[in-house]
Amino acid sequence: MPASALFAATLEASINKLLALDSDSKARLNALDGSRMTAFLSPIPFGITLVFSDKVDVLIEHGDFEEVKAQLGAKDCCIKTSLDTLPALKETSQLTRLIQQKALYLEGELNVAQQASSLFKDLDIDVEELIAIRTNDVFAHQSMKTVKAIHEKSMSMFANMGDVFGNALVEEKKLAAHKLAVMHFSDEVSALRDSTERLDARLRDLEERLK
Amino acid sequence: MSDNQTSSAGDVHSSSKHSLSEEHVLENDVEQTAEQATDQKTHFGFKQVEKEKKASLVANVFDSVAAKYDVMNDLMSMGVHRLWKRFTIDCSGVRAGNKVLDIAGGTGDLTAKFSRLVGPTGRVTLADINLSMLQVGRDKLRDRGLVSNIDYVQADAEALPFPDNHFDVVTMAFGLRNVTEKQNALNSIYRVLKPGGRLLVLEFSKPTSEQLSKLYDMYSFHLLPKMGQLVANDAESYQYLAESIRMHPDQDTLKGMFEEAGFEQCDYQNLTGGIVALHRGYKF
Ligand SMILES: C[S@@+](CC[C@H](N)C(=O)[O-])C[C@H]1O[C@@H](n2cnc3c(N)ncnc32)[C@H](O)[C@@H]1O
Repeated sequence: MPASALFAATLEASINKLLALDSDSKARLNALDGSRMTAFLSPIPFGITLVFSDKVDVLIEHGDFEEVKAQLGAKDCCIKTSLDTLPALKETSQLTRLIQQKALYLEGELNVAQQASSLFKDLDIDVEELIAIRTNDVFAHQSMKTVKAIHEKSMSMFANMGDVFGNALVEEKKLAAHKLAVMHFSDEVSALRDSTERLDARLRDLEERLK
Repeated sequence: MSDNQTSSAGDVHSSSKHSLSEEHVLENDVEQTAEQATDQKTHFGFKQVEKEKKASLVANVFDSVAAKYDVMNDLMSMGVHRLWKRFTIDCSGVRAGNKVLDIAGGTGDLTAKFSRLVGPTGRVTLADINLSMLQVGRDKLRDRGLVSNIDYVQADAEALPFPDNHFDVVTMAFGLRNVTEKQNALNSIYRVLKPGGRLLVLEFSKPTSEQLSKLYDMYSFHLLPKMGQLVANDAESYQYLAESIRMHPDQDTLKGMFEEAGFEQCDYQNLTGGIVALHRGYKF
């Protein structure tokens, strides 16, 4: 037990810490209030459930996908895939195939998944300022590198998730009403990529100056 | 449930028949045989006391530790109690809209999380026999902004003041070993659970390895009271806690008691080598 509980505790603390750094995340979290999203990502031996209220609670799901599916509420969603398959989800055209091949399962309210991914990918944290406030010394150099790497990785992961659920909505559910929203969503993702690149350049510049 | 037993996110309502400061006097006007006398005794830690006195003795312990309870919990378990509680919540299957009873809920660690999980359509009742613990709990939860869906009730687990078939989930964390008649508490919980509902009891238990058991004894009988003395200026209460842990039924005995109360599909999971066990049972 305590390994999975420790994992959940760490994940929960990190998520809420990150959200607290961006005051705008409150509104996005509000939109999710009362919903939950469960992800089974093999080979992780348990499901991970995010429960949204004024913060995010992380629960470990000891039952399997079918059990969770059977209990889905009106504002819940559940996905099952493998960590290996995640990169393949980038391609819209792959989704149908993956579902047919039983490499991907999506159940419940997919808007929740989409909103959850935007909760994280829209995070607007002024990393540069945070570092300047907190360190102001030689440690800045090393921490900048790490923060930059983590920031890049997480942003591309959430942007990717957003694409996946957006695509799932259009491709699999044929929900035309969502199409515009998804297009808008994709624009936002591109804008985010641009701003990530800009941040990247600023970080590089700062890094140079600290050398 | 009568109106004066519930409260909405605020005042603590008392339904306890025990007056917490009152000394209970055992009426001894009938000559008793030795057997009858033993029947009326129970353990309070390693001591034998009259059954009627145990509740007020336990009350004294928790009156005394209430203010420092959370700090001591973190210190004594090195924070691991949070993981045990987390595991309990993971196993509770709590959903939005559920009614949850956290009995012997003390300072409300489980209640805080349940309050968010059941959401505005659900309700969590934090019940405890001890007013001081409830007050610390209520203040803590209020400070965290958790107000809208929590009721505070002063109640004895042995005689729960709730209607039959009322709760979806009942949890009892580190409370059962303090109860005088544990079987009465389990029976009472069974009554208030809805069919399909489940009970989770998180409690200290019997370490599965001899080695760990020795180490743990050393820790709880030598180090723990000293820590209690140092941090809370109260070695005696922590001595009681250590002794009460030792006197608590082991895993299989407790499982048997669950079954006797009527619970089905009873199982338990040892945590941290059996130092703690989570027992689970369903009412169908
Ligand atoms: C060790 S504390 C546990 C508090 C909390 N559940 C936690 O895990 O942090 C034990 C609690 O059980 C309560 N208690 C003891 N006997 C009780 C009884 N008969 N009915 C209800 N609560 C009782 C005490 O007042 C105390 O708050």
